[in-house]
Amino acid sequence: MATLLEQVEPTAELRPAIAGRNPWALAGRRLRRNRVALAALGLFLLIVVLCLLAPVYAQDVAHVGNPMAPNLNGTTVVGGKVVPVMQQGGGVLKLGETPIGPTGDIHHYFLGADLLGRDVAALLLYGGRSSLQIGISSALICCAVATVVALVAGFFGGLVDAMLSRIMDIIWAFPLYLLAISVSTELLTHASGIQVGPLHLTAGSLWLPTAIIAFVYLPYVYRPIRGQVLSVVRKEFVEAAIAQGAGNLRLIFSEILPNVLSTVIVFLPLMIATNIILESSLSFLSIGVQPPNVSWGTIISDGEDLLYSRPWVSMSAGIMIVLTVLALNVLGDGVRDALDPRAKIRVEG
Amino acid sequence: MLTFVVRRTLWTVLVLFVISVLVFFIFFKTPGVDPARAIAGRNASPQIVAEIRAQFGLDRPLPIQYLLMMKSLFITRNLVSYSNQGVLVVPEIGAAAPATLSLVFGAAVIWVIVAIAMGIAAAKFRGRLLDPLLMILALIGISAPVFWVGQVANLISQGGLHNTPLFSWVPALGYTSLGQSPVLWFKGLIIPWITLSILYIGFYARVLRANILEIQNEDYVRTARAKGLREGRVLLRHTLRNSMITFVSLFGLDFGALVGGGAILTEVVFNIHGVGFLTYEALTSLDLPTIIATVVFGAFFIVLANTVVDVGYAWLDPRVRPA
Amino acid sequence: MKPVRPVHTVLARHRARRTHRWSAVAALAALALALASCGGSSSSSSSTPTTTSHAGGVFTILANSNFGVADPAQNYTLEEWQLLINTHDGLVGFAHQGGIADSKIVPDLATSIPVPTNGGKTYVFNIRRGIKFSNGQVLKPSDFVRTFERQFTVPGPTTFYSKIVGASKCSTKGCDLSQGVVADDSAYTLTINLTSPDPELMDQLSLPFAFAVPASTPLKLTGNNVPPGTGPYMWKSYNPNTQAVLVRNPYFKVWSAAAQPPGNPNEIIEKYGAQVSDEVTAVENGQANEVFDGDQIPSDQLGQLNSAKFASQVHVNTLTADWYFALNTRRPPFNNLKARQAINYAANRAAYVKIAGGPSLAVPSCQILPPEYPSYVPYCPFTAGSGTTTWSAPDLAKARALVQASGTAGMHVVVNGTTDQVGKALAEQMAADLNAIGYKATTLLLAAGIQYPWSQNSNNSGKWNVAWSAWYQDYPAQSDFLNVLLGCTTIHPGSDASPNIAAYCNPSTQAQINQAESEEATNPSAAAALWTQIDHEDTLAAPWVNMYNPRQIDFLSSNVHGYSWGPQWYIMIDQLWLSK
Repeated sequence: MATLLEQVEPTAELRPAIAGRNPWALAGRRLRRNRVALAALGLFLLIVVLCLLAPVYAQDVAHVGNPMAPNLNGTTVVGGKVVPVMQQGGGVLKLGETPIGPTGDIHHYFLGADLLGRDVAALLLYGGRSSLQIGISSALICCAVATVVALVAGFFGGLVDAMLSRIMDIIWAFPLYLLAISVSTELLTHASGIQVGPLHLTAGSLWLPTAIIAFVYLPYVYRPIRGQVLSVVRKEFVEAAIAQGAGNLRLIFSEILPNVLSTVIVFLPLMIATNIILESSLSFLSIGVQPPNVSWGTIISDGEDLLYSRPWVSMSAGIMIVLTVLALNVLGDGVRDALDPRAKIRVEG
Repeated sequence: MLTFVVRRTLWTVLVLFVISVLVFFIFFKTPGVDPARAIAGRNASPQIVAEIRAQFGLDRPLPIQYLLMMKSLFITRNLVSYSNQGVLVVPEIGAAAPATLSLVFGAAVIWVIVAIAMGIAAAKFRGRLLDPLLMILALIGISAPVFWVGQVANLISQGGLHNTPLFSWVPALGYTSLGQSPVLWFKGLIIPWITLSILYIGFYARVLRANILEIQNEDYVRTARAKGLREGRVLLRHTLRNSMITFVSLFGLDFGALVGGGAILTEVVFNIHGVGFLTYEALTSLDLPTIIATVVFGAFFIVLANTVVDVGYAWLDPRVRPA
Repeated sequence: MKPVRPVHTVLARHRARRTHRWSAVAALAALALALASCGGSSSSSSSTPTTTSHAGGVFTILANSNFGVADPAQNYTLEEWQLLINTHDGLVGFAHQGGIADSKIVPDLATSIPVPTNGGKTYVFNIRRGIKFSNGQVLKPSDFVRTFERQFTVPGPTTFYSKIVGASKCSTKGCDLSQGVVADDSAYTLTINLTSPDPELMDQLSLPFAFAVPASTPLKLTGNNVPPGTGPYMWKSYNPNTQAVLVRNPYFKVWSAAAQPPGNPNEIIEKYGAQVSDEVTAVENGQANEVFDGDQIPSDQLGQLNSAKFASQVHVNTLTADWYFALNTRRPPFNNLKARQAINYAANRAAYVKIAGGPSLAVPSCQILPPEYPSYVPYCPFTAGSGTTTWSAPDLAKARALVQASGTAGMHVVVNGTTDQVGKALAEQMAADLNAIGYKATTLLLAAGIQYPWSQNSNNSGKWNVAWSAWYQDYPAQSDFLNVLLGCTTIHPGSDASPNIAAYCNPSTQAQINQAESEEATNPSAAAALWTQIDHEDTLAAPWVNMYNPRQIDFLSSNVHGYSWGPQWYIMIDQLWLSK
């Protein structure tokens, strides 16, 4: 027989209090209502899809064989006429070779060529693949490792915490670029290949910059998560779980981790954005992505000598970075607003 | 309090030691870097190289060499660059430091002022158009890599528009010291200042706005409003000071990192021969003495900034001090 | 602006990625046009005035980086040598004239070039009297003793003077040349005794290493203080962070216009630290007079230089230098002759030339010796078509066939290059050329200062198969290319200084080299012909892929006149003059 309560139609206002929604679902709903964040997510996904379609563009649209291979003696069609991709300087001296500029023709060197005669538009998409791959995987690795270390440090406390925190402090005290450059240089000069587990890393492998970037930002993610862990560890429900006889592993993974997870998730889009920028900086300094791979940073670096005559080489890659990172930052804000309980008090008003 | 400061100081020394040791060992093991050959010069015979090795103590065990290098860096201060035998490292850093300091100080002034203004404005006009507009601008500032912004700045000011009245005053890329010509010093640094500060303005404006909004809802602020104080006075006298705590501590950390060589990209793009530029050159030529010196210099400032911020926190909030 | 353009606080020895060695040539003499163009300037009498009608002005050179330590006993850079030839003098020297005459050796502080006696082992020089150093001291023969001792007590290249008696026992701790360099201060003679004849001695004495410094100069490295010299200019200051300043030597009087004419500018300043693009802008605006780094002008600005406004201020000269890729003959695939010839047929030299800036800035080459060099006879067996003198196009079909025949198809090949714009592009093009004929090529890029010693050290030979390098003449001698770079005795295992990067050693070719060297003094024309043969043999054996001979840009401000250029010292700074 139905109870009185069940027979009463719960009113809309009462429903949330009774229903006891899952906080993740609540967060998801808040995120869905945030149209700006959704737009940012859409933009980011659009860029990802475009970059994934890079081979399609290169083969079927622009008809470039190997977009990363030099094409110095090549020709292309502009306005119906066949022109060389690299044009010799004029005047009496004829010094220098200038690559063709943007043609506006999506099938033929839409954004022009770089100093090796390569199609910049195709490079841009391939470069996006490298930058996105490095950015996303290094962010995942960094957050995962930092979370684990923070859990261990925060949970066990005492000497373990002190040691781990000091190690993180030392990593953070290393001037950022020095650390990246020194690790990078070391790896490159030993570069006939290093065996790391199942991976054979040669100088050109994208896993090298990924590992470096993940390593460099460990302390940055570690500190706030450790702070979260420390405050969660003191909460009553953890005490209660201990009183129930829960083992350390269960405590860490069932009690503490879920409560820390929201902080980690907030960090993800932000770290992807930060890592994309760091990767572009390292590649700009020539110690990030190595040939034959390209990334947005290497394109900007390659375009530097052409900055005043063919600015679109550098500008296009830079604009892509700005759009991607902006989208991720806006999305990150949205995720934080959705997950951070204090946002409820703060913003809706 | 005193023990706290002493502990942190010892910690600083330890960190510098560990970092210098790590850097030393990383670079000494790198192939292609034989300091004896670099000193002996190109085409020196193997005998000469061996003699140099003995003469400079480069065949001694690594720990001894480390100590020798530390001695010539700190005590006798006559550490010589490996890749350029004519250059003494310590004066070189001394000469480069003013460039970095000029760059960072100027950028800091700009970013603090503009970020505070933006943060306050966005918080005050929350809900109206200005708030999201300012925040989008701030986000764009964070999203653009600083070296690319510098390139765009150069493209505009040194390239096509250089001959227009708008940008003809921009001197060639590079740093002129204050003593040489204050006018050129200023003109040459204005665009690098703006470039470097864009990133931080974005970040700090957002931080400040978030903190202000948090504190707006605190009880004591509501009390102030209930007492009938004007909104502006509430904002400035009651809210701002507390919301600046995070701002100040972050500022300390960032400033320290920048002075220590973190402005490397800006320096490279604008050809300012500061500490970051020096670090980069030393790293690409694997010049160990200069690398060690710039690393120690940089790490020192970072750790110093960390310590100052921590001490400041401990002074402000006794709860933070360790037992 | 680009950070990774070779920034030369790197190894003081070389400019950019260049490795400079200077060899002497005894080639055709042509009279300088430079002196002739400068109206009534002083000529040959010994009591000529020390200034000319074009005297005056301050000549400012802009260089991206300094040249390292200034001590002439150690410095091995063109950058300082261009200045040292105006502040110091040797027993003999290359004539201060443009064109091929710049390669003629004339007596300088010696009154004449002696004919050796004692089976070619003893040279007696008569030293000129009445010449003073910039500190007022009178030059005596005993000053040369200290000069030569310093070659061994100051760390630096020692191979040049190793045949002097007593040199083999010299070290940085001390040097006894009492048997090898004998000075007689009353008869004013200097006797040099060798352990064996050396036909290149005069060339080596013409290098700034052997330029006279006072006997009181310390045996140790003098760092950035340059000892006094006898030339028309003297060093006022050298600060590697800012600039070097040369002013007139008040004690200088002309004794030989060919060897050491008076200079035109009153002061020569060399400023360091500017980006190359800024150097060009400054010279365009007349704020400075010379761009030192003409080989690194960014493509953006080359377009400006082409314009009618600046074209007359630009001078381009082909250098006696090679830009090449050394093939690692120690291990597969390039220990196989067919594989090496294959890549030589496939190498797209037109593309390499484009990377260098086009045909006006590089001349494609297949062979070892550069054009206008002694014994140079054009030869290129690795081209499409049937000719064998000049390169026209790659022959991919032949290359692929050779790869198949060698049995090395599909092998993994590592191309080692430098990280700067041009170096990276060259390496990528080479990788593309290798991929086109059936290899799997990847690149390994290192910063320029690191790549140079790294590629020479045999310990790294397992990590690369193709390595970029460049070589510039020390002095115009065939051995400077053929023996130093491809001879069996210049392979030094485990050393960072092993200029035969390819590790190529062919005993029968070496025997020919030895014969040519021994015939140099007795039968020069036979020796010259033999060197040509060696060049062609080495080229065919393909230890390298030679890409091109570079052409150098000199960009001067509009008020500079009297330009002259020679393959030994390049631009003659002191002979330039400034209009108001």
